[in-house]
Amino acid sequence: MFREVLVTLWLFLFYIVYTGSTTPYDIATGLVVAALVGVPASRVLVSDERKLLDVKRYIHLFYYALKYMTVIEFKAHMDVVKRVFTMRLNPGIVKIPVYAKSRYGRLLIAVSITNTPGTVVVDERDGWFYVNWIDVASTKPEEARLAISAEFEDYAFKIFE
Amino acid sequence: MGRRLLGLVFVYSLALALALVVYATGSLQPPHEIKRLGVFYVEETFFGNMTAMSPEAVTAIVWDYRGLDTVYETAVFFLAVVAGLAVFRVSKTPPLKRGVGLTEISRTSTKIVAALIVVVSASIALHGHLTPGGGFQGGSTLAIAPLLVIPIFSYYALLARRLTPGLLVTLRGLALTAIGLVALLPVFKGLEVVTNIRFYPAYILGQLVSGSLLLYNSSEYIAVASGFAAVFLYLSFEEEFHEEERGEDHE
Repeated sequence: MFREVLVTLWLFLFYIVYTGSTTPYDIATGLVVAALVGVPASRVLVSDERKLLDVKRYIHLFYYALKYMTVIEFKAHMDVVKRVFTMRLNPGIVKIPVYAKSRYGRLLIAVSITNTPGTVVVDERDGWFYVNWIDVASTKPEEARLAISAEFEDYAFKIFE
Repeated sequence: MGRRLLGLVFVYSLALALALVVYATGSLQPPHEIKRLGVFYVEETFFGNMTAMSPEAVTAIVWDYRGLDTVYETAVFFLAVVAGLAVFRVSKTPPLKRGVGLTEISRTSTKIVAALIVVVSASIALHGHLTPGGGFQGGSTLAIAPLLVIPIFSYYALLARRLTPGLLVTLRGLALTAIGLVALLPVFKGLEVVTNIRFYPAYILGQLVSGSLLLYNSSEYIAVASGFAAVFLYLSFEEEFHEEERGEDHE
């Protein structure tokens, strides 16, 4: 029951943000649409209700989102900007292990890697990510993991595992 | 820590400087006066006498002032969907197998994105009489959800939830019937066909619904989404299935 309510609320919030207006008409239609989508979707989207209740996970998620969008993205962008001028490129595809088991944790790691300039997850197979890396510092999976995804994975564990 | 802080300060000052420049040059401020053409349209569709009671001029024109034209457009699209079904001769659906689909990452993100697409499309359709958008635009947006599911999960995922081309075309037929009923209902009260404000209320509980425009938009939303979804679905069936359907040999 809790997951249905929470997913409905998130979707309602999304509806209102997208619509950009809070008249009674928007709130009424938003609640109906969010409930119609949220109740069936919550069964597909949420498998462990207890994690939804854990406030610590939300704090980690909020902190990570803020840090990712400011510090991590900034550093990755500046690195690529520098490479544009120096043309010090050593591209290649490396294989890195991913220890997170939850599907959202793995998704978070994959999109975090892809969204930072310089690294793109090109495939996922048997628990490994294949990452196209602008500067292959090491082809050893563990070393590559430390350089590419170790920080993302720490947060993925705190938020979703 | 110090360098990180320095980086943060740098990013924020850059963003602040950019925001100030944009604000100071006034490029983000909307004009204070409406152009004469805009005034003309809003008076004709909302503020004046005998209007469609919709500030969104395009919806007022499409569903009210030239409603018959739109009915023909909708009919053309319906005939195209039905003709597609006839050409492909889809009367059954392929036997259910387990689809391969893409990676877990694609599947998980698609589940989230599909839910958000439905919400956004509903907002586009339900605000068609207030802001740019409407039934066709909302329905086309909604149809993206099955279009994403087909390559990422395989079309069996839709068939397993009983979303077959047959059901979708039936749904489209029902939605079109609803459009027809909205147009015909005023006749029973002695008014002309496709009468809007003289028969349907412009406001419900103080909220602007623009009479029949909301009803047309909602029905068109279902009609367009189910029509596109049916097309996407039967176009993704394997050729072997179509050949079996037609009773052709592979020789």
